[in-house]
Amino acid sequence: MSMEKKRPQLSLDELHQLKWLLGSVLALFSVWTVFYLDVDAWTLLILNTVAISAALIWPGWLARVPAAVHIGAFPVIVICFVTDLWTNGQILPAMIRLDLMLILYRGISYRQRRDDLQLIVLGLFLVVVAGVITVSLAFAVQILAFTACALAFLFVVTLVDATEAKYPPVHTPLFTWRISVATPSWIRQADWPRLFARLRTVVDWRIVTFASVLFAGVVVLSGLLFLAIPRFQLENSLFLDRFMSKKARTGFTDNIKFGDVTDIIADNGLAVSVDVSDPGQMPATLYLRMVVLDEYREDSFRLSPALRRASFGQEPNAIEVDGTERPHAGAPVYWTVYLESGVSSYLPLPGSFERLHFRELQSILNSRNLRAISLRNEPVTMTAYRLEGVNTSPLLSDPGFAENLRNPPRDRNGAPLRYTRRELVVPAQESDQAALRAAVAEITGGATLSAEDFAGRACRWLDTRHDYSLQSATPAGPGDTLTRWLTSKAPGHCELFAGAFVMLARTAGFPTRLVTGFKGGTWNAFSNNLTVRNSNAHAWCEMWNGEGAWLRVDPTPGSAPVTSANEPQGTAAFAARLDRSWSARLDSLRIFWYRRIVNFDQGNQLDTLRAVKSATQQAGQRMRVSLDRLVLAVKTWLVSGWDARRIALVMTGLLAITGLGWAGQLLLRGWRWRIRRNDNNRRADPARREAGRWLERLREKKGEGEPGTDAVWPDLERVRYGARPTWPELEKVFRRARQAWRGRGKSPRLPS
Amino acid sequence: MSDFVQGGQITEAKQALDRLRTNMRVTIKGKDNVIEQVITCLVAGGHLLIEDLPGVGKTTLAYSLARSMDCAFSRIQFTSDLLPSDVTGVAIYDETIKEFIFKKGPVFANVVLADEINRATPKTQSALLEVMDRARVTVDGEAHAVGSPFMVFATQNPVDYEGTFPLPESQMDRFLMRLQMGYPLAADELEILRVSRLAYDAIALNPVITRGEVLKLQALAQQVFIEDSVLDFILKIVAATRTEAEFKSGASVRGGLALKVAAQARALVNARDFVVPEDVTELVGPILAHRLGLARQTSDALEERRTVTATLRRIVASLPPPV
Repeated sequence: MSMEKKRPQLSLDELHQLKWLLGSVLALFSVWTVFYLDVDAWTLLILNTVAISAALIWPGWLARVPAAVHIGAFPVIVICFVTDLWTNGQILPAMIRLDLMLILYRGISYRQRRDDLQLIVLGLFLVVVAGVITVSLAFAVQILAFTACALAFLFVVTLVDATEAKYPPVHTPLFTWRISVATPSWIRQADWPRLFARLRTVVDWRIVTFASVLFAGVVVLSGLLFLAIPRFQLENSLFLDRFMSKKARTGFTDNIKFGDVTDIIADNGLAVSVDVSDPGQMPATLYLRMVVLDEYREDSFRLSPALRRASFGQEPNAIEVDGTERPHAGAPVYWTVYLESGVSSYLPLPGSFERLHFRELQSILNSRNLRAISLRNEPVTMTAYRLEGVNTSPLLSDPGFAENLRNPPRDRNGAPLRYTRRELVVPAQESDQAALRAAVAEITGGATLSAEDFAGRACRWLDTRHDYSLQSATPAGPGDTLTRWLTSKAPGHCELFAGAFVMLARTAGFPTRLVTGFKGGTWNAFSNNLTVRNSNAHAWCEMWNGEGAWLRVDPTPGSAPVTSANEPQGTAAFAARLDRSWSARLDSLRIFWYRRIVNFDQGNQLDTLRAVKSATQQAGQRMRVSLDRLVLAVKTWLVSGWDARRIALVMTGLLAITGLGWAGQLLLRGWRWRIRRNDNNRRADPARREAGRWLERLREKKGEGEPGTDAVWPDLERVRYGARPTWPELEKVFRRARQAWRGRGKSPRLPS
Repeated sequence: MSDFVQGGQITEAKQALDRLRTNMRVTIKGKDNVIEQVITCLVAGGHLLIEDLPGVGKTTLAYSLARSMDCAFSRIQFTSDLLPSDVTGVAIYDETIKEFIFKKGPVFANVVLADEINRATPKTQSALLEVMDRARVTVDGEAHAVGSPFMVFATQNPVDYEGTFPLPESQMDRFLMRLQMGYPLAADELEILRVSRLAYDAIALNPVITRGEVLKLQALAQQVFIEDSVLDFILKIVAATRTEAEFKSGASVRGGLALKVAAQARALVNARDFVVPEDVTELVGPILAHRLGLARQTSDALEERRTVTATLRRIVASLPPPV
């Protein structure tokens, strides 16, 4: 006979209500994973959240849903799924939307046992898909919460089953064809405050604590195991990502139309996190290069197929890539870049580097000339890589280009190939070219300028004519768009400024190309790393300086057009951009996850384990030292001379402690009574409560021929239900009850 | 006098009730729970409707109770041509004294057995039901009190509805309890076969309890203490019947009062001067079932009764008794 059996138990209706609560919470937990999934299902997510929450709080209104809805729901869901699949052609997002629709339906209709289990499976699908696709911190939290909720839910489902087996309910069909859904009986009694009050009295907190400790133990153990096992790539081991041909939310491809970068700016999501082992090495304004676009054609810049062919050699499945920098003396500085999924297949690079190290084999395309690296497939999960020997200089040497300028390569027939001249191509129409030439003449004033001087003047010229605005209005008219904007006074954004500068520089005879990537970012004050958001997307130019190198020129107002090589570096430069907001806190959690869990090599793993070990040891040592000190102090105090004053002091102290203990006990008792009174005001009488608890406890013994129990039973009943003046002596009754309870040889759980 | 029942009174009551119980068990075999409920109904001062097939002992039960008490018993066989005056009595003009004198009907007794009550016309039924309510008969503006104590045992057959006038719900409400007898167990039936005869007059029972004692018991039952949480429990049960989708309408206020009064009586029958939740839960079926109708139509009366009882059981199981 266990102690729990004697507690008051939840009635079937209350269990049903609890089941409803847990089921709804479970559904909400699972639908919220869509938040991390980047699947186009926001409407469904909001609909789910609102409808399920409403159904949770007011389960009664579901009964008013006409039966036709239930009859039509399944065909409608199937039709939606098929249409979705037909129009979008992507299996996984369609399945996720299907799953959401099913969860919505299950969340807002009265569930029977089979439906409850279905709900768990539907939720599990979402959580697993989200976990595998994002491998994020959120997943860890989500799966924990989901698991705990699902376990509790299953437990309640089992309880309901067991109770229903005991008291078979009157069978009513869940819905008939006629009017609407039959309301399950528990809906009528559904009263959340009462349920919580009942839960508080019914729940055996020891069991709950034990279960929580057990669950926490399992979680900690799994965490330790996770830390200890060798890394493996979860996302690569599963097939799900292949179904997720997610459209890039950005324009970081090798063909950029005007406006693409601006679209990215509108998105404030995290794009890149940069972690530098020596933050002093980081320039104040960090440019992360991604794509180099040389060819201007029909209002858009693109990476010309010829340059692509000439520059990108294939290095299939590399884990390490050698860069163009020579090894430096001194301790290596590591830049770790975490690129979020969905940004680009091009890796953001802060400049040329000595070596790049992926955490797993990657199929890449690498161009040493362009200093650009592209992954073969756009990554669906976060990609992390470590750079060594980074040079963030605004000058990029390119001996190949210099050589090509001097001796253009020739084809088989000996004719010079033109591809190196693409960096000089301007709009084809003569009117456009004339306008450009006029602008250049205005900038240079007829003088022959060095590349740097021209860049400075051209940028100033652009700055005086155009304001910066995300909303640009290029005047309508014939000819090239970019030239039209350039010759107008309309405001523009970074792409237009950069594009216009490219046109001007090319007209002036300087080979120039457009570069896109990220600029700036905020310094996360919590995790000490650079956070770059999609809104930091930027476009700038690289201009051939005639001395074998490309010079970075940023013509957008608000930036130094030509970054000097000796600009301030380090964290000091970021002080002005410290981010201490809540989103920074969240990002710092993310970076913690990246640093410690995702991007984990064995060294880090060992470091963490060592840190855990030393922290435990230190804590133990500190405790021992303070304990020793305390014992010593007490000892010294005891052996020193005793006089009347000290004795009085000790006595007062003891009295005070006793008094405090007594007061504490009183307070505790009062507190308990208050809690119970809240449960039911009429049962405030403590003696009645006490008798009631003894009755509950002895109920099972009654009728087993226990003389003690049978003798005390009527008196307990009298105290619990009888008129107060007829009560027997309470102390005696409770003592007898205690004796009757002990009569079985069980250790009693004395009521306070 | 104190508000509370004195210990000695309880002892007296217990003795009287034990005598009654033992006496009734002589003729009613193996139906101790029915006897308990009949006694409870008597102590609560209510009327009883027994619904069962013919020949399971309904009349014998009423007869045994009446005979066990030192009081008048009469039996009215209800038929479709029975007139109200056949029940209540009639004023006849007496030539000798040149006055109308009132000839008392069979209802002037302490225990009245109204056999097959649903066979009479509604007019006659309501004549009886008025007497049940007021415990008196009014003829020509003159009120005549019927017996005290006054208890009506009505019986009806739930299966054979041909040519009957089912009691309307408002009148069902007048009965404190509705009971089913059911067939006895094989051993008990053998005992009945061995001992009993067919005629009621052959039932030889001596009165073991006086009319005064019955009245005293009824007064005592009203003093039985009900703690607030138990009252609250009764209220919750009644409220739950009102929100239950299965029922056309919930139990009336009179239903709740009946449950309270019956619980008090049951406490006294069990020699207690206070009500425990079991008193309530045990009586929910007999007290409330006949006051509730199903929302959906059923063709079978027995099935309807079964569903109502099961729903009530579920309601009671879903409500935590006060602890």
